[in-house]
Amino acid sequence: MTSLQQVCTEARVQWDKLQDSEVPVLFVGAATCGRAAGATEVLEALRERIERDELNVLVIEVGCLGPCSFEPLVIVHKNGSPRICYGNVGPDEVVRILESHVFGDDPCARWALGKMTPGKLDGIDDFNTHPMMHRQVRNILRNCGLIDPENVHHYLARDGYRGFLKALELGPDKTLEEIKASRLRGRGGAGFPAWRKWQFCRDAPGPTKYLICNADEGDPGAFMNRSLIEGDPHAVLEGMLIAAFTLGASQGYIYCRAEYPLALQRLDVAIGQMRALGLLGRDIQGSGFCFDLSVKKGAGAFVCGEETALIASIEGRRGMPQPRPPFPAVSGLLGKPTVIQNVETLGNLPLILRNGAQSYSQYGSESSKGTKTFALAGKIKRTGLVEVPLGIKLKDIICEIGGGVPDGKALKAVQTGGPSGGCIPAEKMDLPVDYEALTQAGSIMGSGGMIVLDEDTCMVDVAKYFLSFTQAESCGKCAPCRVGTRAMLSILERIAAGEGQMADLEKLESVAQTIRDGSLCGLGQTAPNPVLTTLRYFRNEYEEHIRKGQCPAFVCSRMISYHIDRDRCSGCGACARVCPVEAISGQKKKPHAIDQETCIRCGMCLSTCPARYAAVFRRSGELTRVEPRKEVKRKSD
Amino acid sequence: MKLTIDGKSVIAKEGQTVLECALNNDISIPHLCTHSQLSAFGACRLCLVEIDGIRGYPTSCTTPAADAMVVRTDTQALQNLRRNILALMMLEHPSACLVCSRRELCEQFRPEAERTGRTTGCHTCSNKEICEVRALSEELGFAELPVPPAYHERPVERSEPFMDRDLNLCILCGRCVRICKHHQGRAVIDFVGRGSQTHIGQAFGNSLLDAGCQFCGACVDVCPTGSLADRYAKWYGRPEAVAESTCIFCDHACALALGTKNGKVTAAQAVDENVPVCVLGRFAVPEFLNGTDRLSTPHMRVGQRLRQIPWEQALEMVAGKLRQFAGDGFALVCDTTSTLEDRHIFKKFTNEVMKSTNYIEIEPDAHGVSRGSLPAGTKAALLTGNFVDLAALKELGLSIVQDCYPTPVSQRADVVLPAAVLAEVEGTILDRSGRKRPLHKACEPPGQAKPEWWIICRLAEAMGAEGFEYESAEAISKELRISNAQLWVDRVEAPPAATDFKLRRTHFRGHRIDEKVRGLRELPVEDPCALEPAQEKHEGAFGILEKHEIAPNVHEIIIQAPEVAKKALPGQFVIAMVDEKSERVPYTLCGWDAQAGTITLVVLEKGQSSRKLILLSAGDKLVHVVGPLGVPLDIELYGTVVLAAGCYGIGGIVPIVEAMKDAGNRVVVVTEARSHYLHYYKKKLQGLCDEFVETTIDGSVGVKGHAIDAIAEKLKAGEKMDCVIAVGCPFMMMVTAQETKPFGVKTLAALNPIMLDGTGMCGACRVTVGNQTKFACVDGPFFDAHLIDWDELRDRRAAYSAQEIHSLGRTEAVVTGHSGGSGCKCLH
Repeated sequence: MTSLQQVCTEARVQWDKLQDSEVPVLFVGAATCGRAAGATEVLEALRERIERDELNVLVIEVGCLGPCSFEPLVIVHKNGSPRICYGNVGPDEVVRILESHVFGDDPCARWALGKMTPGKLDGIDDFNTHPMMHRQVRNILRNCGLIDPENVHHYLARDGYRGFLKALELGPDKTLEEIKASRLRGRGGAGFPAWRKWQFCRDAPGPTKYLICNADEGDPGAFMNRSLIEGDPHAVLEGMLIAAFTLGASQGYIYCRAEYPLALQRLDVAIGQMRALGLLGRDIQGSGFCFDLSVKKGAGAFVCGEETALIASIEGRRGMPQPRPPFPAVSGLLGKPTVIQNVETLGNLPLILRNGAQSYSQYGSESSKGTKTFALAGKIKRTGLVEVPLGIKLKDIICEIGGGVPDGKALKAVQTGGPSGGCIPAEKMDLPVDYEALTQAGSIMGSGGMIVLDEDTCMVDVAKYFLSFTQAESCGKCAPCRVGTRAMLSILERIAAGEGQMADLEKLESVAQTIRDGSLCGLGQTAPNPVLTTLRYFRNEYEEHIRKGQCPAFVCSRMISYHIDRDRCSGCGACARVCPVEAISGQKKKPHAIDQETCIRCGMCLSTCPARYAAVFRRSGELTRVEPRKEVKRKSD
Repeated sequence: MKLTIDGKSVIAKEGQTVLECALNNDISIPHLCTHSQLSAFGACRLCLVEIDGIRGYPTSCTTPAADAMVVRTDTQALQNLRRNILALMMLEHPSACLVCSRRELCEQFRPEAERTGRTTGCHTCSNKEICEVRALSEELGFAELPVPPAYHERPVERSEPFMDRDLNLCILCGRCVRICKHHQGRAVIDFVGRGSQTHIGQAFGNSLLDAGCQFCGACVDVCPTGSLADRYAKWYGRPEAVAESTCIFCDHACALALGTKNGKVTAAQAVDENVPVCVLGRFAVPEFLNGTDRLSTPHMRVGQRLRQIPWEQALEMVAGKLRQFAGDGFALVCDTTSTLEDRHIFKKFTNEVMKSTNYIEIEPDAHGVSRGSLPAGTKAALLTGNFVDLAALKELGLSIVQDCYPTPVSQRADVVLPAAVLAEVEGTILDRSGRKRPLHKACEPPGQAKPEWWIICRLAEAMGAEGFEYESAEAISKELRISNAQLWVDRVEAPPAATDFKLRRTHFRGHRIDEKVRGLRELPVEDPCALEPAQEKHEGAFGILEKHEIAPNVHEIIIQAPEVAKKALPGQFVIAMVDEKSERVPYTLCGWDAQAGTITLVVLEKGQSSRKLILLSAGDKLVHVVGPLGVPLDIELYGTVVLAAGCYGIGGIVPIVEAMKDAGNRVVVVTEARSHYLHYYKKKLQGLCDEFVETTIDGSVGVKGHAIDAIAEKLKAGEKMDCVIAVGCPFMMMVTAQETKPFGVKTLAALNPIMLDGTGMCGACRVTVGNQTKFACVDGPFFDAHLIDWDELRDRRAAYSAQEIHSLGRTEAVVTGHSGGSGCKCLH
């Protein structure tokens, strides 16, 4: 068998060759996000053209580079020119780039996001200076979007498995010391120091220990783990090797939801490669360390992200949490000491081992070390996956990297931590993003979802959304969570329907308290957070719903009425044609009117009324919202 | 380990939880999902405590006791938290009765649960006497729901053998799931669904039978609510006493704990709760014993017919006849399910009194079938069960059957003597390993049925024989030197039929058990001789046009009855019969359409007869609808008329509201229900009356309380009322009457006693009003509510409770959709 060292050397040679390839290379971002944006069609168009013209061009599918709003992304390597990253590349664009840039002289600067290698090119700046990139520190994601995730040589060429080899060299005790020194905290949400969990597990009696990678990413709007696995699966697997070696675990499981088919495929391929390289099985790399891995597919229950429920699910039981103690680190999978770590936590381990704890902890704040990935979503200009040092201000992420709120709207709040987290209001954007600060603000770090809310977002509606999620995802075992969330939801629905009373706010808080104190697991204990933080920061909005019967964001449909401005209406009849309940009447070319009794407040008239008239306006209580008229030049003008 | 709980220093054993330790030291901590047979689960969140050094409120049931631990179990914060958690639990459980201000009065007036189809309150819950939730709600001072309750509207599952499941009562403590796993080694039932849809069920919606349920009944036994119930036992309520005896349906001789009430065995369970018994032991005994067709008096053939005769006469007669058959012409046939004592007497009688060698003792086969034949030349036979073919009787000069149930053989016999069996007798039997097991008498046999030894001994005495002067089975055991018979407890293994019900016995003393125990017909047996009992189908003339469940347990039924519709007047009722054998039940006319020829009834499912009606659907027909009956209500101008209505009465007042309004009255309608989801006809009534007031006992909508609370409030405020008319259950009408009396307001109530003919002939509907006897059918239904003897009304309505309970389990065809009832025709 060729030794790992030998393979690494070969891999490096290959990689270097690729970097200086004579043949043009197109790296197409084809992770789930890229595919959703059309990367498959881009690839098809590209391959079709290459085949047709018998072009000598290499196409490599890579993972996600991060800037989702620019997907599909294509990076072009052309000998003699700096590498260029193009954004929003459709099938037409890719062919044009092929013709104009790869086989021509026009680098298509209008589609370029930036240069990825040094060199001068007119009109194209460095990719690293792109506003979305320049505040980022890409350590965990360093390979994502740059390497072929199904080619282990790419990973190896970029120092892959060096961290693991270092761990083998150090031995378990010193590896644990290193992790302790790095002050790495679990990236799943709660931020529990990783080393301490490992210590508990190591101290627990018995020779058999298990390691589980929690890839059950279930927060709405979160996709950090999926991207990492799809873009750089070996980084996570190397992390598992390091953790397992330190713990003395002989078997590892990756619990990944079945809704992540590409991630599952990448894991399968990668595990096969590990096996072939002698990185799994008996006596790994001659160290005497034995370890094997298998993937368990989850059915997508949110609660299965909870450790004890996850264990139950792996064991083939219903995913229902169990009270602790016993803690999984003492009695977990099949009753054996088990450590469960999030994908990203594991992804950090190779970095720590390879570069040393010092290098790792240079980033981050006093209590929260290292970098953290965040999934930016919602009302933000540049959505995507970003990696920043912990401790960075919230506004740096939202306003600089994310580019703030689009369409000139005002930022209202940022929702962090998913259904267990909370909403941080716009005035708190100076908040440093670390575990303690976010908790103090009533939210949590969570696994890294960040949903940006603008002025058109109703906070009662947001609270309702997250609560209906946890309500539906509760495992049903304990009443505080199962019934409590249902009770809170019914109050929120009442408020959103304009039937709320001021006493409902106290009721919400009181039921929330019962759920927090009484629930069995983290899902329940944190379920009231979205309601409590919105109540804390946006109480006036709740009160407006209750006292005035109005939704200031014009979201709660039961509180809105639609009307037609007689002066603006041209009588085009567009609204009447789309109204599903025929509530709109009027003669041709005469102002129309909406029958309020019949209207179901679907808003079709508003979205259909041509912008040049903008005749449909809304009322909610005392508020009126008129859409601005936009003059559109007609061709005939 | 030494720890401090509530300031008290206590010792804990290694491995004990905080809860166990506290309970051992008489420190009570509320708990619900915990059960002595099960490991901790931590779901109910009621045993939360505070422990120094542990964040939040850990559950004491799952926290191991540790040395030097300081635990507080009863702080104000914990009390509040527990009360709030229970209140959340109660949102999904019919809980109005727990917060009702008239709870005590209600308990006094109707201590027994009313037999409704769906349970929407404690007073209609079969579990109420032993409900753990009720007990906890009192302990924790539960008084208020945070938001209106969210009733699940799940259908009551009544199609499985032996067990009813009403998941609307379930609090998801998971005891049933866990005990099932514990007993069966796998989960036949489990949690299904997520969030508020979570419920107990079988994978893929299978039936219990298809999911592999063995009907050990353990889930029913551990259920803290009325959610899981033994269909047969449930309406008997909590047993008054428990007696332990041995099951003799097969020779595994399991020890049974038999619950008894009013001298009847109403329920059976394994004595040894860790080892389940089979379906026969758990479910068959009470129904077998209480069969309405049990032989209960001696009968003698007179010509073609069997006639009842007193024991003395029967014995004398038999004695006289038997004398002629002394010698080998006489045979006695029994099987080994009779006790050792009985068989000793049988044998002694045969040999010594009858001087015959033909004492025949049959060993039942694996299915419990005992088949025998009479020796050639037999002239007289005494059979203690259904053992021989009918043909054998033809050769006999005298046939005596001593048995528990009639059979074709007993119907042809010359003499039939009623025998006590199973838990009705004392004695000893041998189990399959030859160990002695005792039978203890738990209940009285039906009528004049007697133990078998008694019958034979008295017969021997009547024949002048000596040596049969035994007065008890014990006296015989003494003579036989039977001692040390002990119940089989502390077993390690369950009998085979407990893990595979197909292995159960199908016959007992020649009787098919499933003929007597309905649920068994749905369970496949090992080698069935397929047959389904023919369904009796009655075709009537009164078609059901529409039928809807308009509120839980309340059904609106529109029936084709043109003659009734033509003549109906407000306040009248009809008597309906579902089939030829049904009870005749009065139902208030809630509406009619003379042109269309239809009438509308609002029927509350309560008991056997309304259940039968509810089981019909649109397109089915009733055999009889008689009416309109009763005196129509006096419709005149009173001024302000207040109508108080509850349950079926909300439908019942509709024609009265219309008529009173037409007569020019100001009509106020006050409806009451336990909770918001039980109200119906709101829009209809609002459109008819001048003022509409809704009340709920839990305050989830409208005025909190009963209808009378809203009325009393108005009266106190000086509102003028000229007539109050109450239509609803007797309790509601009684309360209304009691509380309008001080105000001197004329109050009428529509009475609904048991009726038979509805024309004033039978007197079944007798009520006492102002010390005068009235017939509700022809003098009523409306009477001055202040003069009614309510207690008498209640008692008379309950006159046939016991019969009703027995028949309830037999109302409906059990189970649809899975194969193979046992139906074995081989004996008939």
